[in-house]
Amino acid sequence: MNLNRRLFVGSLTAAVSGILPTLSFAQAKGIIAIITPSHDNPFFKAEADGAAAKAAELGYEVMVLVHDDDANKQNELFDSAIAAGVKAIILDNAGADASVAAVQKAKDAGIPSFLIDREITATGVAVSQIVSNNYQGAQLGAEEFVKLMGETGEYAELVGKESDTNAGIRSKGYADVISQYPDLKSVARQTANWSQTEAYTVMESMLQANPGIKGVISGNDTMAMGAWAALEAAGRTDVIVVGFDGSNDVRDSILKGGIKATVLQPAYAQAQMAVEQADKFLAEGATGVDEKQLMDCVLVNADNAAKLETFALTA
Amino acid sequence: MKSHVVALCLMAALALPGCKIVKTVAEGEGAAAVAGEAGDDARIAALLDKTYDAELLPLLAKALPVADLRAALAGGLEAAGAAHGNKGSGEGAAWNFAVKGEGKVVEANLTSRARKAMVDTDGDGAADVMLQLGPVIKGSSLRDVAPFYRFGDFRDQIEFAKLARALNDRASTALVVPEGELVGKSVSFAGTVDLKAVGDAWLVTVVTFAVAP
Repeated sequence: MNLNRRLFVGSLTAAVSGILPTLSFAQAKGIIAIITPSHDNPFFKAEADGAAAKAAELGYEVMVLVHDDDANKQNELFDSAIAAGVKAIILDNAGADASVAAVQKAKDAGIPSFLIDREITATGVAVSQIVSNNYQGAQLGAEEFVKLMGETGEYAELVGKESDTNAGIRSKGYADVISQYPDLKSVARQTANWSQTEAYTVMESMLQANPGIKGVISGNDTMAMGAWAALEAAGRTDVIVVGFDGSNDVRDSILKGGIKATVLQPAYAQAQMAVEQADKFLAEGATGVDEKQLMDCVLVNADNAAKLETFALTA
Repeated sequence: MKSHVVALCLMAALALPGCKIVKTVAEGEGAAAVAGEAGDDARIAALLDKTYDAELLPLLAKALPVADLRAALAGGLEAAGAAHGNKGSGEGAAWNFAVKGEGKVVEANLTSRARKAMVDTDGDGAADVMLQLGPVIKGSSLRDVAPFYRFGDFRDQIEFAKLARALNDRASTALVVPEGELVGKSVSFAGTVDLKAVGDAWLVTVVTFAVAP
């Protein structure tokens, strides 16, 4: 029931924001399509903004599309982009397996794809796959979490959306570190599908079942925000919460002494890098770099949160 | 709700037998490893057997003394890195250096699972390096110091991360930290340090460690 409603709202948003050809009047070089999950999550908005800004700077028009994590919809968006004759596609994909066919379809139509944020399960199909080193980032977050927990106590984990490879990678990165501390006890582990509202509900029930919870480690910032709101409502602001992404919302919470830490993924810079590589590929037929590229994540806590703005740390 | 429970059970079921699968694979010496994630541990173990003693330890044996590395860093991280280090895979990755030194322990935390000793190597009374003494070792410096471990040769970041963990575990297992107080003792060490900026605090992943009698 819930799911249906969300899907419906998702497709509504899609219908409204389906195709937004933000025209920048530098012609000649053609259109770059930028396809990401819903901009409801500021992370994906930062990606789209970063890519669009770089594309405009390099003289392209952009077509900004959102697939709402629906592989079928993503497939249709690829059809639209191919029909529109775009020069290249910047993609944060809707599923590691499900997206391979769509990217292949574009390739067959002579349109190169440059992936950001999430990997797909095939190589040689996209030109570039630039992803944050989610495992390294998760280890950073977990190390901070362990320290904050004093290496002991009961904790819960909020896991992201299963179809997104990063949900699993982060969870494994967390486990890799935390499992080395036998006095840390996992009492609950549940998905909240990257959703703030869902995380609120999940946190409420986790807390009821496990009042002894001392910390919560979350697969992303929106879920961390939902969990923190539930903890505040329950008067449990003593609980340590650590997120992942480096959003401005969590930055503000850290500065107010709420959520304790997050891990910054350089989303804005990553999207810009993808557009630069697309531009080079279109001009020279090669990017000059490997298909699979990692970008390191950075721990954000009270020490450096003030320097965080729109998924980038200022010097 | 039910589907969540099922999903969790499934995950748990998938996660647990990981070790078992490895054992089965490892029994067939030289057999082609299982493709995909299930074969990771066996592949990584084989890679370590092939490279740890034969390539990594010889590389670490060429470690620069702390003072020499500091002198090189005075000319900039990029230059020092190009001459003496190796950059980890990916944008924003740290430079990694093999380093060795000796000094006096100023402070130590031996109660944590991630034991650490703060060491004064230049005799000014203040600690200038922090040694990781395990059993939990942070980071991927042992992997990233080696040019022969390349991200592109691995399936994905998970398999690549497993290599870092396996190297840390191998080093940590071999470390002998004597019982009793460390503060005030003279120690010698060799290992790796990763730096993203010249001014970064030195966190050394220790491969050899000895306390002066």
